[in-house]
Amino acid sequence: MSQNTLASLSGVRKRFGKVQALDGFDLAVKRGELLAVLGPNGAGKSTAISLLLGLQTADEGSAELFGHAPQEIEGRRRIGVMMQEVALPAAMRPRELLTLVASYYPIPYDVDAVIARLSLEGLLKRPYGKLSGGQKRQVQFALAICGRPELLFLDEPTVGLDVQAREALWRVIRELLHEGCSIVLTTHYLEEAEALANRVVVMARGRLVTSGSVDEIRANVSDKQVSCVTRLAADTVRAWPEVLRLEAERNRIQITTRSAEAVLVRLFREDPALSDVEVKRAGLAEAFTELTNEKNKEAS
Amino acid sequence: MNATVSMPAGRLWAAYFGEIRFEFIKALRTPQFAVPTLFFPIMFYVLFALALGGRGNGGSLAAFANYGVFGCMGPGLFGFGVALAIERELGLLTLRQALPTPAGSYLIARAVMAMLFVTLITLMLMTLAVLFAHVPLTLGQAVQILCVNVLGTLPFCAIGMFVASLVSGQAAVAICNLIFLPMSFLSGLWFPLQILPKFLVDIAPTWPAYNLSQLALHAVDAPSSGSPATHVLALVLVTVVFFFFAMRRFQSGGYRLLGARPRRTLTLVTGAGAVVVALMFSGVFGGKPASKEDATAATDAASAAADTPVSEAPAGVAAPAVAVIADFDQGSAAASYGIGWAAAGDEMRGGNSKAAQHLVDGGAAGSKGALEVTGEIGNAIQYPFAGAMFFPEGPPMQGLMDYSGKKTLTFQARGDGRRYMVMVISGIKMDTIPLMVDFEAGAEWHEVRLEFANLGAADFKRVRAIGIGTMGPTGPFHFQIDDVRVE
Repeated sequence: MSQNTLASLSGVRKRFGKVQALDGFDLAVKRGELLAVLGPNGAGKSTAISLLLGLQTADEGSAELFGHAPQEIEGRRRIGVMMQEVALPAAMRPRELLTLVASYYPIPYDVDAVIARLSLEGLLKRPYGKLSGGQKRQVQFALAICGRPELLFLDEPTVGLDVQAREALWRVIRELLHEGCSIVLTTHYLEEAEALANRVVVMARGRLVTSGSVDEIRANVSDKQVSCVTRLAADTVRAWPEVLRLEAERNRIQITTRSAEAVLVRLFREDPALSDVEVKRAGLAEAFTELTNEKNKEAS
Repeated sequence: MNATVSMPAGRLWAAYFGEIRFEFIKALRTPQFAVPTLFFPIMFYVLFALALGGRGNGGSLAAFANYGVFGCMGPGLFGFGVALAIERELGLLTLRQALPTPAGSYLIARAVMAMLFVTLITLMLMTLAVLFAHVPLTLGQAVQILCVNVLGTLPFCAIGMFVASLVSGQAAVAICNLIFLPMSFLSGLWFPLQILPKFLVDIAPTWPAYNLSQLALHAVDAPSSGSPATHVLALVLVTVVFFFFAMRRFQSGGYRLLGARPRRTLTLVTGAGAVVVALMFSGVFGGKPASKEDATAATDAASAAADTPVSEAPAGVAAPAVAVIADFDQGSAAASYGIGWAAAGDEMRGGNSKAAQHLVDGGAAGSKGALEVTGEIGNAIQYPFAGAMFFPEGPPMQGLMDYSGKKTLTFQARGDGRRYMVMVISGIKMDTIPLMVDFEAGAEWHEVRLEFANLGAADFKRVRAIGIGTMGPTGPFHFQIDDVRVE
């Protein structure tokens, strides 16, 4: 394994009953990167992460964490984990949880330093069970980073956070990245991936759809968005063959298309009073939808 | 890039200790766990043994030992059964698996937590027993019972873990309760086993709580049955078997509770455990005889007798026509037939209750004499007795008298105001639970009357003995009887 690959999956297959959760999937997490793993529900994201964390074993293929099988403790001493569906002991206070988790690591951060870094001072007196959903996520994030990890797994880290808390968390994530920590992020918030990721992996049906930088993924996608104010009825426009999707809001319509030029010509021809025209390349959200749709079409 | 990040040994030990501390604090702060496990044994001991102690003499070492065993069961069963199932549902076990938790730390911490709870329970019971019930507990016995109880937590941890491996947290609560209370009852922790049907008595040695209670009785030098080594073996077997199947279930569910190399962890832990058990066992039981009173021998004799069909069972000798058994007016305590009256304590059964009898002047209704029985109820066994006995057809307890043609047992009584009882031992089997009827012996003579027709619990065709005396409370007593008749 390359010195710069911290964690990897090679040719893994994993089946749960009738569902082929992973179907020959490869992944390599490089040192210093923030890798966002995207995909619709059931794409195999969580199974892939579970294999890397040693929570599952692959039917075929192999998983490695710092050159060890993930089940072995050596690799896991170098990672931090924030999982989505976990309820920590309700009776325990944040500092007690932090002290316990930090005790598992060889050279953890000072617990007080972690508290200060994430501004958790206000939460210390309350047991975990009495914290709000957002506050619980903050404590879970603190637990994930307290061991001074070289690789951090974050599963939907900002669900339930208000904008301010999310910004604060993003700031810490960027700092960690700057300090050399690598991060694997699974998220439904595409803007989160757009804002943080160096590299994106898109999965569908247990396979890799594409991977690359945010810009590369976007460039892969030929979709454009045309938005304008028009007198034309939304349903009329929607029926044009070039139009993939159309959303209407009062008299403004937003068209997703692969041939923006053709659509524009026809729009101007049929509605000379057309105004407020905007053309842009699809964002990650649209790219993602298109990529996974194609994958689904191929599969069916 | 540093290829390995080693964990300093000191930090590893600290992690194990931190985990134990965490589990203990967590358990203390979880009222649905802490309150019942800590206070049920205490409450039951106070209510059933101490407050109602008059009947069962709960102030005995045996009661103390039995309630301690009851206290062992809760922390193990619920701490493992319920808490483990719930934490699995909450995803906590999965998270722990992803974190670099030291191998086996979770199980070790939970087991130690349960043992600490049992230590607290045992110390509280000891305080109550010594301060309020004046149980004659020696320091040596206290240390031994603590060892027995603390180690005795482990089989229940294993059973709890097995339950957790099978069912959800909600179901685990129900199942653990279904194990906890019935097993306590069937193991004779609250009431003597002999009140149960024979087949339940026979299968009692199957229950870990029974084996543990015999060890605990042995530890406080109270009568117990079976050899301690057998009980220890049974308990070790229960622990190993349930732990093995629980581990298998968890393992197949993807939970590595003992880390990546379970065999190695298990070998280390069981090796250390075996040394501790061996040390305690030799320390606790090394200097003791195998068993004080071999109750199993009695049970064997009884079951041999029970094997005889009722039709072939010996019938009692027909009762003499004479109604008066004894009037104590002739300068003798002797009855008009049979053997007695004879003062009796419970030394035969390993107890320390004593009784003495002598004739006194001034019998009931102006008669010349009466029989006075004086003595003291001790606290060495759970069901003590002291009083005076009459065996209608010798040899004592062996001979059977057929009183089915008679209707009543009457006698005159007076005494110190305590509650006393008439005990009729009867039936094919010698260890059939005696019929017991309460009466109060006040300062004035009054008649005590038993109508046989109302006392279905006794086999009046086969009466072995009639006793008049007391089962407690602990302390000195005196009463007089006169003009005993069966007619």
